[in-house]
Amino acid sequence: MSPHFPHTESASAELAGVSLSYPRGPAVLNGLDWALLPGQVVGLLGRNGAGKTTLLETLLGLREPDAGTVRLFGQEAQALDDAARARIGYVPQQSDLFEAFTPTQLLAYFRSFYPRWNVAKVEGLMSRWEIPREQPIRKLSGGQKQRLSIIRALAHEPDLLVLDEPVASLDPAGRRDFLRELVGEVLDRGATVVFSTHILSDLERVAFNIAFMSGGRIALQAPLDELLEQVRAFTGTVAEMAALMARLGAEPLKRTPLEAGRERVLARLPEDTAPPAGVPAERVNLDDLFTELT
Amino acid sequence: MDPTHFVRINTGSPEPIYRQLIEQVRRRVAAGQLKAGDEIPSVRELAQALAVHPMTVSKAYSLLEMEGLLERRRGLSMVVAAQHRKAQPAADRVELLRPTLEQAAAEARQLELPKSQVLQLFNTILEDAP
Repeated sequence: MSPHFPHTESASAELAGVSLSYPRGPAVLNGLDWALLPGQVVGLLGRNGAGKTTLLETLLGLREPDAGTVRLFGQEAQALDDAARARIGYVPQQSDLFEAFTPTQLLAYFRSFYPRWNVAKVEGLMSRWEIPREQPIRKLSGGQKQRLSIIRALAHEPDLLVLDEPVASLDPAGRRDFLRELVGEVLDRGATVVFSTHILSDLERVAFNIAFMSGGRIALQAPLDELLEQVRAFTGTVAEMAALMARLGAEPLKRTPLEAGRERVLARLPEDTAPPAGVPAERVNLDDLFTELT
Repeated sequence: MDPTHFVRINTGSPEPIYRQLIEQVRRRVAAGQLKAGDEIPSVRELAQALAVHPMTVSKAYSLLEMEGLLERRRGLSMVVAAQHRKAQPAADRVELLRPTLEQAAAEARQLELPKSQVLQLFNTILEDAP
């Protein structure tokens, strides 16, 4: 493996047993464990309301969990020192830019907080993404604000990038360009990237690992390549399915009851095994995985 | 070689992207479009051109190297391996289609289609292709 992907470094972000409820609400995070390793690009998938934004905010130390620990670069997320804080880039779902500032003023303001600031990158992206530099931010379109928010998050060359629906307002060309920037961040610094999106084609390209969020936890995280190769859907009677799972050593991920005592089982086969001949098994794509696992 | 035209990928497929990359390089070498010594895009170039994770590209390249299709030259650039000087005979190339056609045949049987109709469709598709 190339030097771009250090495997020995400790996790950039680590959540253990994290629970969080809003007042009078059910648990949004429910004993959640999660680790993000350097160089990983993790796509976070979950239904609307599954708690993705809450999870990302908790990961960043912006929300205090009711239980559990959150550590960023080995430090308590709620008590990061400035050096650790400067290693993080965040693009929130809702633009939090100062609306009265111009982009030039905004970037100058943020620049003062960071030891590093990649002027060439900022200038390049501002031009390429055609952001008016001297107009108040409130006059920019949604897509322009989103692009500016991304530039702000990349400018200080973060080692951990957290992006919450970063491409919702971008057109396909803008999204592709943004994904290329993400790939560059990984190539240049082995940055850790986590992002949530509903645009599965984007996720499929750039996210090597996919995390499925469901029931307040990360129900499954794995490299997408492995999931596409190892996960199959089987259909049969409940008894047949139980016997088949045992015979294949497969791990059932989702069971869906059908009529007449039959069921559909989405299962992960052990690595490097093919489903035996004669057993009908459907292959799945990322859409299927999203539908069944979130 | 221009990395943007080196390979294409389809999202939404059950075929992982690294597999798609491998299959396309195999086909292009078999057809003689890529020949011994041809330089292929670096991991960085191809990952950025396709906007895919660099590990996806390096995984495909490593497997192609193990297969003897690609060789690593000093430094980082990879080239098509020395034994692939010309296109494979058609008899060998057609074998590369077998997995795709086996899949199509299985689906045709599920649909209970007569053989003649399936072959007719395949004929039409071959003739319509650009």
